[in-house]
Amino acid sequence: MVGESSLELLANGQTPERYLRNIGTIGLAGQERLLKSRVAVVGAGGLGGLVVELLARMGVGYLKVIDGDVFALHNLNRQVLSTEQNMERNKAQIAAQRVKSINSDVQVEPVAEMLDESNGERLLKGMDVVVDALDTFSSRMLLGRVTAELKIPLVHAAIAGFAGQVMTVMPGDKSFDNLFRSKPPANRGIETTLGNPAGTPALAASLEVQEVVKILTGTGEPIRNKLLYFDTQYNLFEFVKLE
Amino acid sequence: MLVEIRLYATLRRHAPTAALGVLSIEVQEGSTVADVLGIMNIELAEVHIIMINGVSSSLDIVVHNGDRLGFFPAVGGG
Repeated sequence: MVGESSLELLANGQTPERYLRNIGTIGLAGQERLLKSRVAVVGAGGLGGLVVELLARMGVGYLKVIDGDVFALHNLNRQVLSTEQNMERNKAQIAAQRVKSINSDVQVEPVAEMLDESNGERLLKGMDVVVDALDTFSSRMLLGRVTAELKIPLVHAAIAGFAGQVMTVMPGDKSFDNLFRSKPPANRGIETTLGNPAGTPALAASLEVQEVVKILTGTGEPIRNKLLYFDTQYNLFEFVKLE
Repeated sequence: MLVEIRLYATLRRHAPTAALGVLSIEVQEGSTVADVLGIMNIELAEVHIIMINGVSSSLDIVVHNGDRLGFFPAVGGG
């Protein structure tokens, strides 16, 4: 069983040492909840790489990492799982190796495929939360449709330059449809001009991880029915209601 | 009447002298969000999210005196 030893310790009211610094925030029950949870991360680039890393360290018991792409030199500025040694290697496979080296409590399943109409439901069925770490509008809209149909919470983020956005979409929420009510004319946004410097995906990915932890443990308040849009060039953080 | 405009990210280039991309402009009664964008010479395709007083809105909505309008470009990287 995944994380059996840690789960056994938790069942006896003991704290596995590796989670000592989690417990003050999420409690023993929250840690147990994470270890019994299943999360899919769709995309293992700038956002997804760090999301996978942090969820593995938090102790989410099952991670499915979906990405058919391979690492390239232009990923090295920001994608934490890319190294000079793993160029041309599949991102999901590298993510799985990384998870195994971090936390043996975590069962990780790499999927070296892009999410599409034919595999979406099969790949995401049974997940407790799905994380959007994609990089096109069309793939995000597909992900939004599939998670809505499967009634799975979706944590969305997107980035460009100094800017980014984060939102949690719970089953039945209209916020994701509202966000993409007007489909952007191109399949990518202003990142085609601004690029993606290192700090922006790290910021958005960290916020996504906080959303996942809040959803799974039931603590706090997710960024729901509103979009957090950050623009750190001028330290702007805006919430846009999308109910 | 006056409305306040807040421009984010790449849209700030349309008001290079406005501190933090915030400015007030005079518009006629009955103007829509699309009219406001036209006054500012911002192409509709450049704007993904429209916010009025903190709430998501759309191009055909009529604006009112004192409204705070936010315009956000599409971000899609991952």
